[in-house]
Amino acid sequence: MKHLGKFLFWVVLCLSVVIFILPFWFMICNSFEEFSYVLPNPPHLFPSRISFAAYEHVLSQSNLPQAALNSVVITLLTAFFTVLVASLSAYGFARIDFFGREVLFRLYLFTLMLPGFLGIIPQFLVLQGIGASQNGLIGTKAGLILLYVGGGICGNTFFLRGHMAALPKELEDAVKIDGGGHMTTFFRVMLPLALPSIGTLAIFCLQGTWEEFFSAKVILGGVQSQITLPVMIQSLKGAHATRWEWIFAASILAQIPMIVLFAVFQKRFVVSGLAEGSVKA
Amino acid sequence: MTPVYDPQAALRHEKKLLLHKRVRNLIPAAPFVLPGLILACVFVIYPMLFNIRISFSNYQIVQRTMTWVGLDNFAALFTERGDRLLLAIRNNFLYALVTTPFIMLFGLVFAVMVNSLRRSQLFFRTCFYLPVITSWVIVGNVFAYMFNAGGAGLVNYLLKDVFGLLPEYVSWLNRTWTANLVIWLLGIWKNIGWAMVIYLAGLQGISADLYEASMLDGASRTQQFWRITVPLLKSTTFYVLVNMIIGSFGVFIQVMMLTSGNPRGTTSVLQYLLYDKSFNLFEFGQGAAIGIITALLVLLTTFVLNKVFHTEGGKTE
Amino acid sequence: MKKLFALLLTLTMALSVCAFASAEEPVTITFWHTYGDAETPVIDEVIIPMFEAANPDIKVEAIRQSGDFNQMLVTALGTGVVPDVARVDITKTSAYAKLGGIVAMDEIEGFDALKEAVLEGPLSTNLWNGHYYGLPLNTNCKAAVVNLNVLKELGFDAAPATMEEFVAACKEKAPGQYKLNVSGLGDWDLYPYFWLFGGKVTDEGFTKASGYLDSAESVEAINTMLQLHTDGVFTIRDVDGTPDAWDGINSEYAMFFEGPWAPFNDENGIVPALIPTWNGKSASVVGGENIVIFSGSEKQEAAFRFVQFMLSEDVQLELLKVGVIPTLKACVDSEAVQADPKWSVYMKQLESAQSRIPTPQASTVEQLWQDAMTEIFIEGADVQSTLTSYAAEIDAELAK
Repeated sequence: MKHLGKFLFWVVLCLSVVIFILPFWFMICNSFEEFSYVLPNPPHLFPSRISFAAYEHVLSQSNLPQAALNSVVITLLTAFFTVLVASLSAYGFARIDFFGREVLFRLYLFTLMLPGFLGIIPQFLVLQGIGASQNGLIGTKAGLILLYVGGGICGNTFFLRGHMAALPKELEDAVKIDGGGHMTTFFRVMLPLALPSIGTLAIFCLQGTWEEFFSAKVILGGVQSQITLPVMIQSLKGAHATRWEWIFAASILAQIPMIVLFAVFQKRFVVSGLAEGSVKA
Repeated sequence: MTPVYDPQAALRHEKKLLLHKRVRNLIPAAPFVLPGLILACVFVIYPMLFNIRISFSNYQIVQRTMTWVGLDNFAALFTERGDRLLLAIRNNFLYALVTTPFIMLFGLVFAVMVNSLRRSQLFFRTCFYLPVITSWVIVGNVFAYMFNAGGAGLVNYLLKDVFGLLPEYVSWLNRTWTANLVIWLLGIWKNIGWAMVIYLAGLQGISADLYEASMLDGASRTQQFWRITVPLLKSTTFYVLVNMIIGSFGVFIQVMMLTSGNPRGTTSVLQYLLYDKSFNLFEFGQGAAIGIITALLVLLTTFVLNKVFHTEGGKTE
Repeated sequence: MKKLFALLLTLTMALSVCAFASAEEPVTITFWHTYGDAETPVIDEVIIPMFEAANPDIKVEAIRQSGDFNQMLVTALGTGVVPDVARVDITKTSAYAKLGGIVAMDEIEGFDALKEAVLEGPLSTNLWNGHYYGLPLNTNCKAAVVNLNVLKELGFDAAPATMEEFVAACKEKAPGQYKLNVSGLGDWDLYPYFWLFGGKVTDEGFTKASGYLDSAESVEAINTMLQLHTDGVFTIRDVDGTPDAWDGINSEYAMFFEGPWAPFNDENGIVPALIPTWNGKSASVVGGENIVIFSGSEKQEAAFRFVQFMLSEDVQLELLKVGVIPTLKACVDSEAVQADPKWSVYMKQLESAQSRIPTPQASTVEQLWQDAMTEIFIEGADVQSTLTSYAAEIDAELAK
C-alpha cells in the first residue's frame, strides 16, 4: 500500500512535468529543423536532426546580440531603480504617518485596476517632452527605463509596503532612541530586514522587464540599435510567412538567462521573500 | 471659572495635535515618498486622467484635438452590432471562473508534492515555474503552433493520429469554444507555477510539529492535507484567488496571438477589444471607454470578493 | 542617500546625453518598411548605398518593422515622433490620410512627373478626398499556385483554363478530396473567389454596398462557394481545419491563390498560373504598398527625393530580382518582366484584379466582411438576409 502510494505519487509528478515542459520540448526540437516557411506535417515530436543552423542564423544574421545587450542593460537598470524608488516609497508609507497618506495609498491602489497599455500615448507624450531634442527620450533606453520604473511604482510600493509594515518595530525604536533619523533607520534597519522581500521584488522586476513587449516596441521600435529581445524575436515574424525555427532558436536563447536566474535565486528570494510578508498576514 | 473637563474638546484638541504632527511629518516623508509620487503622477496618474477625458471625447490623435461627446463612446460600444463589448466582458468573467480554480488546485497540489521532496525539489520546482518566466510572446507563438488546425498541429496529431482520441482534426483556434479552451489552457498552464510558488511560501509557515502531532494521532496523509494544510493556507488561498481574478482582467497577449478575437469577437476580451478599437480602428474614444469600463469591473469584483470572503486574510494588505 | 540620488541623476543624464549625441552633418531621414527576409538585404546593402552615393547630403536609416507595423505607425502619429517616409499597405493609406498623418503628395513639386510614370490602378489607392497622399511603390495580386503533379492526376497537363473544367475534374477524379484551398474568411482570402464567381462588394465609386453585396449575383457567388465546399472540392482551412495551403500544395492540393511570394518550386511542379476563368472571366485581388511622407517630418524635401529615387527604374528593377513587382509603366513592359515566366503571369493577372474598398474605414469594413462570412460559412446563416444586413452596415461606414 505504501509502495503503491509512492509509485502513484511519482507517476503523477512525472506526468505533470512532461505535460508542463512539452511546449518547451517542442520548441527545442523544432529549433533544429529547417522548414523553409512550411510547417512539418505531421509535426516532429523528436528532432529529425541536430543542427544549430537556426541558432547560427539568429546569432550572426540578426541583431540578436545587440538586442540581448540592450535587454541586459535595460533590465538591470530598471530593477535597480525600481528597488531604490519603491523601497523608499514603501518605507514612507509603512513607517511615517504623514498627512494624506491613506488617500494617496488608496489612489495608488486604484491605479492598479486600470489596464496597462491604455496609457501608452500619454506616457509617450511625457517621455517626448523630457530632454532637449525633438524626440525627447523616445528611442532611448533611458526613456524606457523611466517608463518601466514609473509605470510599476504603484504596484511595487504596494507590494513592499505590506512586507515592511509586517516587520517588527523594536530595532527601529532603538535607532530612534540613539537619535537616528528616518534615513538612518531605512538604511541601517529596514533595508537589511526587508532584504528577502526586496530580493523578491527585484527578481519579479527583472523577469517582467526582460519579457515586456508592448512598451518596448512602442518606445524603442523606431530605433533599430536600441530594440530589446522580445521586440527582436517578434520582428522575425515575416509579413507573409515565418521561419519558425528562427523564432524558436531566438526564443530559447532569450530564455536561458531567466531560467538561470530563477534556478539560482528561487530558494533564497522568491519563496522566502513571499513567505515573509503579505502571504501570511 | 473652574476649568471643566470637556471630553469633546479634549478629543478635538488631540485630533488637532495629531493633524499638526501628520502635517509636520510631510517633511521627513518627502524624500521617501516624493520620487515615487512624481513618477506615479507622470506615468500613471496623468495618463489615467488623460484617458478619462478621452473616453468622453472624440479624439483626433494627430491634431491632438478633443471634442466633448458625452457618453457617445459608451453608447456606441453598447449598441454595436455583434455585441463585441458584452462578449468580451463575458469572456473575461469566464476566463476568471474557469482558470482560477484549476490554477489554485494544481498550484496547491504541486506545492504539496514538491514540498515533500528532498533532493529533486529544485528540478521540479524549476520545471513548474518555467512557463511563468517564459515571455507571453514566446508561449503565444508556441501555443499558436501547437494548436494549429489540421495535422501539422501537435495537439491534433497527438490526439487523433497517436492516441486516436479524436475522430477528426479539430480546428482549435477557429471555433468559439475550442479557441476559448485554448486561451484558458494557456492561462492555466502559464500561472500554475506562480500559484505553486506562493503556496510553497505559505507551506514554509506551517510548523512541522502540527504534522508530527497528527501523525501520532494516527492521521493519514490525506487527512493531514484536508485538516491541516488546507485550513492553514486559507489566507494564502485568498491571496492567490484575488491575484488571479484581478489578473484575469489583464488577459491580452494570448488573445491577440491566438485568435484576434475571432470568430466574430466571440473569443475577444476587454483588453484585446481596447487594443483593436484604438490601434486598428482608430476609435481612441471607444478604446479609452473600454479602459474605464474595465476599471469599474475590477473595482466591483474586488469589492464583491472582499464581501464574500470576509476573513482576516481578506484585507488586501 | 544623497549619493544615491546623485548617482540616479547622473545615470539618467548620461543615458539621455548618449541619446542626443547622434546629430550628424548630413540630413538623416528615417524609412520604415516591412520588406521580407529576401528583400531587406537588398534594401540595406544595395538600394540605400545607391541612394546615399547619389545624394551625399542625405543619409537613410531604413528600419524593418514587423506584423505590428500599423500599431507602431498609429502610436507614431499620435505622438508626432514619426519616420520621414514609409512604405505602407495600400488599404491603410487613406486611413492615415484621414487621420492627418501623411502629406498630400500632389502638392509637392515634381509629383506630376511621377504620377504620369506609375500604373493607374495602384495609383488610385492613394487618392483620398481629392488628393493623392502617396505613390504606389510596388504592386501585386493573387494568382493561382498550382501543383502540376496533382493536376496530372486530375487529367490536366497544364494549369486549367477554366474553373468549370477544374471543378468537373475534381468531382469526377477526386471526389471529396478538397483540391482547392483558401486559408480564411477575410477579404484578402475570399474576395478573389467572390469576384470570380460573379459577386460584387460595392458600386464602382465605392459609395454603396446595398444593391451590390446583396444582389442576386453576389448571393449566387456565395452559394457557388458553399456548393463547391459541400461537393468536397473547395476547402477553407479556418473552417474545415484542413492543412495550410503552403504545406498541402506539396501533396494534396492542386491549387490555391497567392501573391508572388508563394513557395514556388519548379522541381516539385509548383508553378504560378492565371486564375482559371468562371463564366469566361478571371478575377483577383490587388495588393501592394504605397510610399508616403509624414506630416510630422521636418525633412520632407529630402524624403521626397528618396521617394523619387525609389520610383526610379534602376531601383524598381533591382527589387524585381527578389520578387517585388514594379509600378512604373516603363518597367512593366520591360523585357525582364515580360520574359520571366512568373512575372508575366502576375502582370497578366493584374489586368483582372480589383482593389479592395479604398476607404479610411477599411479595417471596419474588413471586419464586417469577415463577420458576415463567419455567419454564413461557420454558423450556417441564410445567405441573402446576412448579406443584406451587412450591406447596410457597410453603407454606414462608407458614408462616414
